[in-house]
Amino acid sequence: MELELFLLMLIPGLIVGFIFGFILQRGRFCMNSAFRDIILLKEYKLVKGVALAIGVQMIGFSILILAGAVTQNPKPFTVFGNIIGGFVFGIGMVLAAGCASGTTYRVGEGMVGSFVALIGLGLGAYMTKSGILSSTSTALKTTITDGDGNNLTVAGVATPIVMLIIGIVILGVFAYFHLLPALKNRKEAKESILDFSDMKTKIFKKSYPWWAAGTAIGILNCVAWLSSAAAGRNYPMGITAGWLGWLNFSVTADEAALNWLLFMVAGIILGAFIAALISKEFKLRIPKEGKTLLIQFAGGLIMGFGAVTAAGCNIGNLLSGVPMLSVGSLVTSVFIVLGCWLMAYLLFMRE
Amino acid sequence: MVDIKETLDVRGEVCPYPDVKSKRKVKKMNSGEVLQILVDYPLSAERIPETMKSLGHELLSVEKKGDAEWEILVKIK
Repeated sequence: MELELFLLMLIPGLIVGFIFGFILQRGRFCMNSAFRDIILLKEYKLVKGVALAIGVQMIGFSILILAGAVTQNPKPFTVFGNIIGGFVFGIGMVLAAGCASGTTYRVGEGMVGSFVALIGLGLGAYMTKSGILSSTSTALKTTITDGDGNNLTVAGVATPIVMLIIGIVILGVFAYFHLLPALKNRKEAKESILDFSDMKTKIFKKSYPWWAAGTAIGILNCVAWLSSAAAGRNYPMGITAGWLGWLNFSVTADEAALNWLLFMVAGIILGAFIAALISKEFKLRIPKEGKTLLIQFAGGLIMGFGAVTAAGCNIGNLLSGVPMLSVGSLVTSVFIVLGCWLMAYLLFMRE
Repeated sequence: MVDIKETLDVRGEVCPYPDVKSKRKVKKMNSGEVLQILVDYPLSAERIPETMKSLGHELLSVEKKGDAEWEILVKIK
């Protein structure tokens, strides 16, 4: 591989991943928690953060596409691949106690259970991509494209414009229901509207409120797409394919397995580690019961199967694919949430 | 000095067990009793106090005891 291309993967990949890991740790941003807590704790902060990130990306992505900086690249719609893959992934993430990104950042916090789940995720993905589960996974997929053989999006040729409109609506809803009331409260309390005092503590020491984490992740994923495309990979962030790539590269030593995403996912662990260290939240933590480790490993394996079968995990499909209005990503996301709810109900909600 | 009636040690428990176990524990306790919760998972350390308040219990304190270790004191309503 040329040195220049390698450096384009390595340095920007690590930097984007580092920032992502930092935000995930400070924002406690885990989609398993986000969806599970809707039914478990009637708590909506994290899921509002996810929605805001998607809204920001819809605007950012559509601008990048319309400006010609990147080309649309929605994930395929494979019917049962998305339905079953997504559902299985949702079940797996509850068992693993974290989604693909949540599991990755918690490794940086020193959570040994998440490390075990991550090994399961990589192995499950590898077995599904090129091993004994690949025929099962392939059999589930019947790719449906539009008339010209392009991957299906909700709005066809009008997709970038529709993305922009939906993104503006989401930000409008956020402004009306959150931003304006918050500003009004500040005005009534005679506080300054923009408070930049003590930014160092706010960024490095305190946990981020949902709106800050959501906005930051949305903006970061736009930068991520540009950075990834510059290194020859035309897609925003993902997680599972990155760990699959590391496993593939370490087993085969094949340079072709290396790409921007591998360094991005490694950067997440590094960023979360530094964030946890600064805020004194790093500690090696081992689950009390050995059984928990086994369950988390099984959860990881199941997530790996689901992610490869659905062509993406909660980051590739839900965070990055939904803003592109890919039908496959939308269907997968719905079934990730349903799988998560079923498992959360079975495990935590029956007395 | 608060008179701690019971202690719930959920250190080492994975998400969301600290939250689920805290909720189950306070249900079994009597009014006026104080529960001490020990937790080492950041998200739960922030979420448990909020859940307790929304359940109507009195949050006495949340104290960071060390690296990724928190003590939460709750007075049952």
